Amino acid sequence: MSNKTIDVNRDIQAERREAAARLREHFTQQGTLVVNLVSSPGAGKTSLLEATCRHWCDQWKVAVLVGDLATDRDAERLRPYVPVEQLTTGGACHLELSLVERGLAKLPNERFDFLFIENIGNLVCPASHDLAEHLRVVLLSTTEGDDKPGKYPKMFRTSDVMLVTKTDLLPYVPFTVDRVTKDARLIRDDITVLEVSSLKNEGIDTWCRLLESKRTELLSKVVRP
Amino acid sequence: MHEMSLVRSLMSQVQAIVTDNQAESADEILVEIGPLSGVEIELVKIAFVQWVSELGSMNARLTVHEVPLVVRCRDCNCESELNDFVFRCRECSSGRVQVVRGDDFRLVSVTLNESQSHV
Repeated sequence: MSNKTIDVNRDIQAERREAAARLREHFTQQGTLVVNLVSSPGAGKTSLLEATCRHWCDQWKVAVLVGDLATDRDAERLRPYVPVEQLTTGGACHLELSLVERGLAKLPNERFDFLFIENIGNLVCPASHDLAEHLRVVLLSTTEGDDKPGKYPKMFRTSDVMLVTKTDLLPYVPFTVDRVTKDARLIRDDITVLEVSSLKNEGIDTWCRLLESKRTELLSKVVRP
Repeated sequence: MHEMSLVRSLMSQVQAIVTDNQAESADEILVEIGPLSGVEIELVKIAFVQWVSELGSMNARLTVHEVPLVVRCRDCNCESELNDFVFRCRECSSGRVQVVRGDDFRLVSVTLNESQSHV
């Protein structure tokens, strides 16, 4: 019997990451800003998307891919506003690129300004999966507690924006935006922090302006003078 | 638990290496897992045993090396090993640090059993 050792020294997800990078480049060329929304269940991802669509009111072409373990309840809520495809994982705790690609194939064959991917509610596994997004946004609701960033470091380290949601409940819960911001910035010092209440429509204009400026930034990379 | 999905991906990469090298099987699979890899070592081992029994033919050993989380400072260029998830440079306390090690689940090497090709 003979043995030979083959050196690989490669991230197990390297191939998936390369595929995600190729898809991201395709979206960049099309002028589509892809936003991956991650959070624990019930932090308000679907409510945020409803408020975002209402605020923009057909100003931009938007599509949504929404992931869930079961049912298409979230897709039903968003259907009155924009083209939406439900990605049902059948028990898996995160979305993978292949599932996103399948959802994309079912969306109308048009160019979109913004594509939102609403991930499975989970602050752990989705952190490890690049879905070809330009922007990863983690939502943290005020009822979850302001100690969460330190408990889920990978998610907060890999997110570009932290949205503190349900700020209308701040008077009733032991949560301070200052404390959560400090905690998140120990993990990622340049994370952008915004506060929103989708129910009261507060902070939605600032959130939408951030998305618009990120898209302009993205397009400036494509359209060269 | 996304370890099942990642270990499935690991197994298909190992299988490809076995095929490419016209070997009989893989004897040892060496992987590195860091604190910010997003995977739990114990769950990786459980997933590995499950996939091995599912794939039948594979009788490889999995060896896991735990690696530390290391960051490089963009301000002073110093490398620091972190013992917690406070991303600060140990020399100058800057938060402008980049992770250089410990944030992935890496296939380091595969030791092949080539007995078949020599029969």
